[in-house]
Amino acid sequence: MEPLLTILVILIGIYGLISSETIIKSVFTATIVEAGVILLFLNLGAINGGVIPITDSVNLVIVDPIPQALMITTIVIGSTVTSLALILSIKVFHNNGSIAWKDITK
Amino acid sequence: MIRRLFALPLLLGLFLIFAIALLDYQTLYQDSARVFYQTYGYLQTGSLNLVTAIYLDYRLLDTLFEAGILLIAVTGVSWIAQHDNVEHNPLFMLDRFKIPELFVSLARIIYPIVLLFGIYVVFNGHLAPGGGFQGGAILATALLILYYIDLKKKTNLQRIFTIEKWLYLLLVGISMISFFTRGVWFTNFIPLEGDLLLKSIFLITLNLIIGAKVALGLTAIFIAFLKEGR
Repeated sequence: MEPLLTILVILIGIYGLISSETIIKSVFTATIVEAGVILLFLNLGAINGGVIPITDSVNLVIVDPIPQALMITTIVIGSTVTSLALILSIKVFHNNGSIAWKDITK
Repeated sequence: MIRRLFALPLLLGLFLIFAIALLDYQTLYQDSARVFYQTYGYLQTGSLNLVTAIYLDYRLLDTLFEAGILLIAVTGVSWIAQHDNVEHNPLFMLDRFKIPELFVSLARIIYPIVLLFGIYVVFNGHLAPGGGFQGGAILATALLILYYIDLKKKTNLQRIFTIEKWLYLLLVGISMISFFTRGVWFTNFIPLEGDLLLKSIFLITLNLIIGAKVALGLTAIFIAFLKEGR
């Protein structure tokens, strides 16, 4: 059930990418997609009643550490790529005087 | 308008594809990797935190490329943000909103605490929740608090980039030592049968380098935005 909810978050982001009218909104909806992907991965690795993966005992049931390790890198990459996109949008505004898609793609 | 009408069937189709793909994920899911990391993770890497064990030992190559992407993004931001025209007011974003005296006083108290907390998180990345990425983000927050305390602060961006490039080379170099001691590229340089405490030296070193890299990178991005927002 929870993975389906995270897919809804991803789809909200995709709808935003389709319908947003300015660059800033597109960037923010891309981060919404990214948040949905992170939630989906963490959900797929989660186990009911599992404890955090900081242990050396074999008897405990831990949640899967692999999606967590992958998502750490995703979060850092996402923040840097978002900042790159935002500073590009500032440059576009300085050059064109507008950040609306219909003014830029004319 | 017509784009939004077309969007609805597209989203519905995507949802169906995802839902069908996720129907049987619990039967497809295999926990062999999880059991392997739980059984051998601490003994092979010396890291109680299994997430740190994965991203600093088993999958160090991933982390290296990720640090490279961070370096490329920071370089790109700085390259796009550079401009030749004279800045009339480089502190435009900060002193347009007059910063309250209370905020500055509290920031002076909080700054050393946040700095210490960040260093603690970086150093204990292999024993407790935390590590280079998270601790680096906390350290960057502390450095940004410094910007609010001293509005006239000048930072040499070029020096930050130089330090970051050398840190990346150091990261790659330290992860390559394992070829000469173990015969395998990109893993811990202490032999597999070595002492667990000795192995944690490698983890602490790499966590420190990654923490410094993330902190400097995020600070550089923030300063580049600050200078761009004229």
